Amino acid sequence: MRLKLKWVFSLLLAISMQFSFAQETTVSGVVSDASGPIPGANVVVKGSKNGVQTDFDGKYSIKAKVGDVLVASFVGMQDVTVKVGTSNTVNFKLQDGSVLEEVVVVGYGTQKRRDVNGAIAKIDGSRIKDIPVQSFDQALSGAASGVNVSQPNGVLGNQAVIRIRGVNSINLSSYPLIVIDGVPSWNGDNLNQSNAVNNPLANINQADIESIEVLKDASSAAIYGSRAAAGVILITTKKGKAGKFSVNFDSSLSFTSPFNLIPLLNAQQFTDIKNEGLKNAGTPANGTTRGFYTMNDANGNLVDTNWNDIIYRTGAATNHSLSISGGNENTKYFLSAGQLEQEGMFVNNSFRRQTGRFTLDQKVNKWLTLGGTFNYTNSRNNGLSTGSTAGNNFASSGAARLAFAQAPNVGPYNNDGTYNLAPTQIGQGNNLSPLQWVNPQYILDTNTFLSKNDHFISNFYIGVKLAKGLNFKSLYGIDNLLVENIDFLGPLNGDGQQFSGSATNTMNRYSRKSIQNILDYSVRLSDKHDLSALLGSERQYTKIESWGASRRGVSDPFFNEYQGNFSAIVASGNLLTENYLESYFGRVNYDYNKKYFASINARRDGFSAFAPDNKWGNFWGGSLGWALTEENFFRNLVSSDIVNQLRLRASYGVVGNNQGLNDFAASSFYDAGVNGTSGSLFFNRAGNQNLTWETSNKTDFGINFGLFNDRLTGELGYYKNDIDGLILSVPQSASAGIPGNSILANVGSMRNTGYEVTLNAKIIDKGNFKWNASVNVTTQKNVVTSLDANNSDIIVATQLENTNIIRVGESIGNFYIVQTGGVNPANGRRIFYYRDGTAVQYDHSNPVTASRWTKVSDGTVTRAANQALDAKVMGPALPTYFGGLDNTFTYKGFSLNFSLYFSGGNYVYNGTQAGLRDQRVWNNSAEVLTRWQNPGDITAIPRIVFGDNVSNGSSMPISDNLEKGDFMKVRNIAFGYSLPQSLLSKLKLTSFRFYVSAQNVFTFTNYSGFDPEISSNGNANGSPSVDRNSAPMARTISMGFNLGL
Amino acid sequence: MKNLYLMLIAALVIVSCSDTDSLNPVNQTRISDATAFATPQRVGQLVLGMYSGVKVGNFYGGRFLNYQDVRGPEFNNERNNGVTNLFTWNFGVQSSTNEVQNFWSAAYTAINRCNVVIGGLETSPITPELKTTFTAEARFLRALSYYSLLTLYAKPYTQDNGASLGVPLRLVAETSGGNNDLVRSSVADVYKQVIDDLNFAELNLPLTNTTAFNNTTRAHRNTAIALKTRVYLSMGKYPEVITEANKIVSSTAPFTATSGVSNAMVPTIQAAFASAAVTVENVFSFPYGPNDLQGTQNGLVHYYNASSVGGSEYSLAPTSITANTGWKTSDSRRNFNVVLLGKTWLHKWTKSQSDPDFVPVIRYSEILLNLSEALTRSSNSLDARAIQLLNAVRGRSDATTVFTSASFTNVQALLDQIAIERRIELLGEGFSSPDIMRLKQNFPAKGLAPSVSTTDTQYLWPIPLNELLYNKLAVQNPGH
Repeated sequence: MRLKLKWVFSLLLAISMQFSFAQETTVSGVVSDASGPIPGANVVVKGSKNGVQTDFDGKYSIKAKVGDVLVASFVGMQDVTVKVGTSNTVNFKLQDGSVLEEVVVVGYGTQKRRDVNGAIAKIDGSRIKDIPVQSFDQALSGAASGVNVSQPNGVLGNQAVIRIRGVNSINLSSYPLIVIDGVPSWNGDNLNQSNAVNNPLANINQADIESIEVLKDASSAAIYGSRAAAGVILITTKKGKAGKFSVNFDSSLSFTSPFNLIPLLNAQQFTDIKNEGLKNAGTPANGTTRGFYTMNDANGNLVDTNWNDIIYRTGAATNHSLSISGGNENTKYFLSAGQLEQEGMFVNNSFRRQTGRFTLDQKVNKWLTLGGTFNYTNSRNNGLSTGSTAGNNFASSGAARLAFAQAPNVGPYNNDGTYNLAPTQIGQGNNLSPLQWVNPQYILDTNTFLSKNDHFISNFYIGVKLAKGLNFKSLYGIDNLLVENIDFLGPLNGDGQQFSGSATNTMNRYSRKSIQNILDYSVRLSDKHDLSALLGSERQYTKIESWGASRRGVSDPFFNEYQGNFSAIVASGNLLTENYLESYFGRVNYDYNKKYFASINARRDGFSAFAPDNKWGNFWGGSLGWALTEENFFRNLVSSDIVNQLRLRASYGVVGNNQGLNDFAASSFYDAGVNGTSGSLFFNRAGNQNLTWETSNKTDFGINFGLFNDRLTGELGYYKNDIDGLILSVPQSASAGIPGNSILANVGSMRNTGYEVTLNAKIIDKGNFKWNASVNVTTQKNVVTSLDANNSDIIVATQLENTNIIRVGESIGNFYIVQTGGVNPANGRRIFYYRDGTAVQYDHSNPVTASRWTKVSDGTVTRAANQALDAKVMGPALPTYFGGLDNTFTYKGFSLNFSLYFSGGNYVYNGTQAGLRDQRVWNNSAEVLTRWQNPGDITAIPRIVFGDNVSNGSSMPISDNLEKGDFMKVRNIAFGYSLPQSLLSKLKLTSFRFYVSAQNVFTFTNYSGFDPEISSNGNANGSPSVDRNSAPMARTISMGFNLGL
Repeated sequence: MKNLYLMLIAALVIVSCSDTDSLNPVNQTRISDATAFATPQRVGQLVLGMYSGVKVGNFYGGRFLNYQDVRGPEFNNERNNGVTNLFTWNFGVQSSTNEVQNFWSAAYTAINRCNVVIGGLETSPITPELKTTFTAEARFLRALSYYSLLTLYAKPYTQDNGASLGVPLRLVAETSGGNNDLVRSSVADVYKQVIDDLNFAELNLPLTNTTAFNNTTRAHRNTAIALKTRVYLSMGKYPEVITEANKIVSSTAPFTATSGVSNAMVPTIQAAFASAAVTVENVFSFPYGPNDLQGTQNGLVHYYNASSVGGSEYSLAPTSITANTGWKTSDSRRNFNVVLLGKTWLHKWTKSQSDPDFVPVIRYSEILLNLSEALTRSSNSLDARAIQLLNAVRGRSDATTVFTSASFTNVQALLDQIAIERRIELLGEGFSSPDIMRLKQNFPAKGLAPSVSTTDTQYLWPIPLNELLYNKLAVQNPGH
């Protein structure tokens, strides 16, 4: 290659000398970078239409006059300009682009970073490619300012909670719009979820992602109009590149296990503690009708079951993906296949994904380009009831709670190998007092939850060059997801018992098509005025069709499939709904001499869910920018060696939110039911014809800077989202009998404000050794400014327990909890406070229920403390700051990266602790051994009284379970080694990298539960930071290689 | 030229006309409010929809009946679970307690369904006769709902002749927001409406609904009369109880209804609790089936049954009526009491929650006992027919016990025996608390639950928080 180049070069040199006196001549040469010639680079004569592309060997030739200026450019590289002199050969050596030359994907197009005026964060696909997670969203935490991505727990495939610049709705979705290659995609919130968690975003192979752009402010997001209030995430998948034929193979092996499990009582300790509780309750174990007793197995050994060992495991995973990409000036292609098989930390929790992707771009002639992408994914989620998804926190078969609550002095099996079962729970063993929980082993072995996906994401486009700078593009995209949910519940214990066993199959078809037509015009009006404009329309049809049935009463234990033999069948999971969004949008970008920037985006959306008079809404966003470093006065003040770029920006706009709204939200309906066996019909929904979008008024100010030739770059930002017209269920007096006692209306308002700081530094760049670091910090402050006409509080439940409140003047979802004051050293009782501050204490051992509550001051009997009368608003529940810290060290072929994610300023309600200390027949955490026993004991654990479900927070949430939620987590550490070029050429490879990495390595926190990042309520807006019976986090250790041909 | 042409096409594509059909989709699975009453078939289903409203899990589907029973002395709470009516059992409810809010909501949702149907019938394409019949069914169900509300949220009529606050009287359909504020009518006014509704129902309901199933699961004339005997008994208006009961109880044994549906007791009580029982004894029951469930932790089988179909929530207290020595072991009603795990459980309901038992609301034996008590109280004597009625109920299950006037030393002794018979015969069917309250008695203590006197705050339930918050005219019950 090098030899050939030299030869070409010499030849060109010779030619150029011969014709050097010509007036207009052909200039030619090679465009290259540090690694060699660049095919597909552009070379243009500045100020003319005249431009060419380099060929496969990086060569070009162009007609030019002496004195013309040639500009060579390539994506991601800095432009190089050369004045044509007497020589006919001009070679260009391009260097890696400054940050400003980076290409950023924006709504319906791309821009150079230099021209971007809005707040857009870009995350490169390579950054998340090798992180051992099931879906890309899980890999984004700490990656960008203003974007808080947290993982609710370690259940495989659980969708990450993503909040862009705060919680942006109460009742609708605060989840951003996810757009994959131009077509809005499905996310887990759209799906009819079973216990097998199904996140459609996991159907995208991470290795196929080129970049992820997050549109944060109105200026960048307004082009998505009515869906932009919670921000927009644009996923761009990989495409072929001209000339660069390459084959990449990635493979990895990983192991996942739970971490920070809480130590529990063993069989003997459990037996002793529960008997102590019985004794303290005045009903001591008597050997005949009451009491707890250990048992021995067939070999005479004590039965001492650690249910954690039965429910959790170390799961193994393999991930392979292969891609081929390449092309020439006219044809570019990318083809990939992937296979992921992953076992979760829960027994029976697994995920398998097979992906295939093909992208083709074909230039047909000078004015016509055709292309498209076809992506097919087949995935299988095998799940179980974990009690870790929103609304299932108290599931009685929830494995996470069973693991710590089930009695350790009985085992999963009887001596004869059969399951240890009683009619409605686990078998008693030698215990005389009845046990409560189901046998986890039976549940794990028998109950199955399977969610299978067939996911097609495809688009086809036609690009037409109408005139210079004027392009038309028409795109037709589909995103069709077929989900088959297959559940079986065994008849003998647990959730299936009430049905004598049930098998439920549902078929769910989520189909979406999008048709976009875009006219794009860009023009350089003179040397100094750049103008680009875009005009487009979009139609998006969405339909969900689900149907299924549940067969009940299994005739024989052999049957565990829907097709087996059952005695009854009922309909299950039926849904048929659709919506349509019709939109017209436009954008104008203008800059003067790359110094002053202005842009405006606007969109008009018509949405089917609203009443005829309220279907249409207008949204817009505008921005201004000023590149100070282009100003002479600034240049005179500060050297460009110190400040190489400095830019101020400001934007404002109004966008909307309809995400998560029912497709027929404005209408009133009668619903059909069954009365015995006959059909019935009844008024079941009061609609509201005045319903319309929630609107978000977004203000953004920012400073982008680059210092010391981009050695230190960064961004400072301020944001304010004023959200109006929040759609709330406005409560009606219950006696009005309105179904659900509420009607939706646009009534509430809320504000998010905060600051963002991002710094990227090339700290050390000395030959072989490099240290790059980036840090981002975001602050967020939320305040609810109005609710319904009465500003009625909205109490938000964690399934059965009211934990949070939405109250005017408070941050959304603050806690609503009864204040407690630890354990009274005098008598071992939990101290509670009435709202007026009166200290009262609870003694479960008093046989008269009415006398259990007494005043601490004088011991007189008093009323029970309760949430309705005594709860106080505590918080904040939302973190007040969060961010990430990313460090990469490279030395020769070695690289070490560690990513930290941190969050804090908030509290977490550790409701799991209430369960771990509950004094019913539940097992307890080992800390219960430090219980109060004698007057004067100072301890966090009250006197043990059997049956006590009040003192530790099971009957109402108490502030002794509220803990600070500050943490810093080592999210990922990766150590890799890339083979040197010399060795690669011998092996005929272009690249080879081997790495080991660990995900969720360690959490620095004072939180006493599993992990302060846990969120039992997932994406719910109003109940953040509640840890209630949720699974712990998973730690994954992974090793793998990337191979390039 | 070519470019101009293409540009025109592009511009046309972008602004091509709006897809108005897609912007106005029709919901394929729900009936629009505009057409709900458009066909006779829909109207027929809307009538059944009213029944569905009263029989939801939070109301007659199970929970409401369980509240009425666990307030009384018969049951012990076994699960200590706040979700399954613990605070009703131990008299610890507050205005925000689930039971207090959910029952109120369920009853008013059912009432609104009745009002919606009454209003919608006017424009529906059915005969005037059918409109009247359906209105009568609506008013019967509305009366049942209002009566049920009074039993928990308002002072018994007998305490002050209904002078205290009852519940808001909603008689007009509510289909959009706004009408939140409405005062609580007096107990007397609500009873007056209940009686008006039942009188209308008696006049306009059919004499028979032709099939056994419909004679049990839908209101006919005798159903309205039967409910009136219960309502008047609650009001302490014993002559009216006698007047109403005499319309459907023959003057001598064997006691049967002599007009309309020939309601009577069946030979064994077990037959009235058989699977999907629609005997002549089952004057009124709510039907269920595999596609019509009460919901998790709502059904009676869940509360009382301790076998694998049940949830073992409440056992029969050792001090309950089961301890009554006059209730002989040979009495076939004792067969419902099953001993498991050292405790006694009421197994009147035995079917799986995935295909539940019908819920009995009015059985013929209740009417006989209503009449027996009214005759005794009204005449203040050892009324012979009253004793015959008592014997009819007792004798069906225990032929060896026959009461005569000699069995009773005084009138109170007869009344006590009738009360005992009600506790035995109607055990677990929702009569415990109303019977105590209408007679101005105290709730006795049981297990760890305290006794509650007529003057205690907890004697009545509080008006729920979700009413007080949004109905500015609603007033809380004293003490709550």
